[in-house]
Amino acid sequence: MIEGARWRRSVYFHLPLVMFVVLLLFPFYWMVITTFRPDGELYRPWNAKNYNPFWTWHPTLEHIRLLVEDTLFSTWLWNTMLISLASTAISLVCGVFAGYALSRLKFRFAGSLGTGIFVTYLVPQTLLFIPLADVIRNFQLGDTPWSLILTYPTFLIPFSTWLMMGYFKAIPKELEECARIDGASRWQAMIYIILPVAVPGILSAGIFAFTLSWNEFIYALVFLSSSAQKTIPVGVVSELVRGDVFYWGSLMAGALLGSIPVAVVYSFFVEHYVAGLTGSVKG
Amino acid sequence: MARVSRRSLLKVTGTTAAAATTGGLAGILASGRAPAYAQTSTVHWLKWNDFVPAADEHLRKKAIPEAEKALGIKITLETINANDLQARTTAAIQSKSGADLIMAFNSNCQLYAESLADVTALCEAVGPSQGGYYDTMKGNCHDGKNWISVPYCVIPGLIAYRKSWFNAVGATTFPATWEEYRAVGMKLKAAGHPLGQTLGHTFGDAPGFAYPFMWSFGGKEVEADGKTVAINSKETIESVKFMAGFWKDAHDEGGLAWDDSSNNRAFLSGTIAATLNGASIYIESVRRAAQYMTEDGKEMRTDIAHAPMPRGPGGASAFHGSQSTMVMGYSKNQKAAVDFLRWFHTPANFEPWFTSQKGFASGPTKVWETNKMWDEDPVMKPFRTAASVGRVPGYAGRPNQKAAEALTKYIVVDMYAKAVQGMAAEASVSWAEGELKKIYSV
Repeated sequence: MIEGARWRRSVYFHLPLVMFVVLLLFPFYWMVITTFRPDGELYRPWNAKNYNPFWTWHPTLEHIRLLVEDTLFSTWLWNTMLISLASTAISLVCGVFAGYALSRLKFRFAGSLGTGIFVTYLVPQTLLFIPLADVIRNFQLGDTPWSLILTYPTFLIPFSTWLMMGYFKAIPKELEECARIDGASRWQAMIYIILPVAVPGILSAGIFAFTLSWNEFIYALVFLSSSAQKTIPVGVVSELVRGDVFYWGSLMAGALLGSIPVAVVYSFFVEHYVAGLTGSVKG
Repeated sequence: MARVSRRSLLKVTGTTAAAATTGGLAGILASGRAPAYAQTSTVHWLKWNDFVPAADEHLRKKAIPEAEKALGIKITLETINANDLQARTTAAIQSKSGADLIMAFNSNCQLYAESLADVTALCEAVGPSQGGYYDTMKGNCHDGKNWISVPYCVIPGLIAYRKSWFNAVGATTFPATWEEYRAVGMKLKAAGHPLGQTLGHTFGDAPGFAYPFMWSFGGKEVEADGKTVAINSKETIESVKFMAGFWKDAHDEGGLAWDDSSNNRAFLSGTIAATLNGASIYIESVRRAAQYMTEDGKEMRTDIAHAPMPRGPGGASAFHGSQSTMVMGYSKNQKAAVDFLRWFHTPANFEPWFTSQKGFASGPTKVWETNKMWDEDPVMKPFRTAASVGRVPGYAGRPNQKAAEALTKYIVVDMYAKAVQGMAAEASVSWAEGELKKIYSV
């Protein structure tokens, strides 16, 4: 906290904080206001009389109606939820075990294996989708949710593993060693002692994995073809961009409604999430 | 429970497989598939989400059911955002699976020439019987020996402009030369209504403006041999110098960051006075007439007119957007796919789709210039013959894979964008020459 005169706190703390919050929330606000502004206002000349891009006096639900009634938005929402939850669950299980093994067990090449896993996370999806398309074809998974449930972990597991490795390293070994002395097996020590302590880390890895899956675009674009199988990011863009005309109101409505589940997840676990990211463990 | 040994499992599965491959009812049931002769071919057609919703609706509700009935095949139509077509095409070719028919924009089919089925027989049946394909369509879809993609339509680009604003600055007819256009543009910008154009990485408007601009000054990418890079010429440098001044004097300078939708939005919101575009601006203003109004309360559609790009020292030119349908080389349904395209491009079947476009898309062949649809709206009349003028990237050579690569890397567009942002004309042209040489020397 800034100490000293009141003005110092205002200038060095409150002002930057307000600017930061405004900067971060402005896109969200713009999304909301565009969702409810009628097209007549969206396309009004910027130099027209009484033009105000930041507010509307004639809010409309027309854009949401178009999104919900004229597209398969509810189906996309369900698909996105299913795929994100399943791929997050798979990734978390693998990430937790891999992270534990790499941080706790002593075996040859553990360090280089950890680095290798991290490096795989750095390979861009825009390159990986091409060979993965081959894999999806060979397993005949194209145009099914499995094509995403099984490919998203290719970038989620390395990330979760790396995050969990760091978290496990922050947990004192002594906790586990005490349990071992008391007769617990390594498995029991991990399940009953380490994992409960690591819950904030697991939650933050889960939230990150869920968000990444929720927003993923290129794999969903390439591996899914029928409209009823699509996820929100792909479905909305496919249906609401027609040639060089964008249905901005409905696009923003899609982005807004699509971001609500992620926002809810964040709001529920925000404390654990912050604790997980900072790696703090309360002994 | 009885134990199943590996040997017995192999025996049972082997017998089942044998039954399946040797035929008979048991075999069919075991395989879970209809015998080949009874299966219906399914053609998966991937195309853009049409700007004209009625056109896609026509395909889904009328054309495809009729084709399915006539040809005894099943057709699945998938529409996506145009910008995403290339990613889908690349993945499909790499994995040798995916849609049987994929839409290609402009000369993009040249990039995938080796992975496409030869459609020469179909094109040579359709083109000549319908007045011949436009030269630009042949340029885009023919590799010099064979047709590699079936021309679908042309989406001509003309300048949409606000008549009243042009009149107000004394331009009662649309400027015929770039010099005149610049002079009018200066007055318009001074009056708060600049010209609007993009020089961003957009698949339609930016190349549609930059290439013909260069050609109209006499500039060209390569010599007629299609190999020798010739962009670093006096003519190209003059065009770049002109563009830098023209941009500053007459354009909305934010256009560098625009995408294909931005100029539509700027025009329809009354921010700019003119822009090169397909007919989408005007059609949108007609479609939702009450929404787009002029500053004095009239429907904007009544104040819009279209004109071809002005001419430069090298004459007039144009680069119209075009679409074609690629029959994918990996497809196991090539015959059904070609049969469908043959059916679709029959005049009686193509006409309802063509008229649903209201002039946004012209036919790929010249016969469609005489269609009575063009009499419906005089504002759309300039689009009727627009496709007959134009060139395709790769000029003065013929379009090929290299030219298509240069197009998708936006080298010509970036050459102008760099100059507009302050780079010396000679330096930006020299940069473009270097980039083109990297492509053409391989």
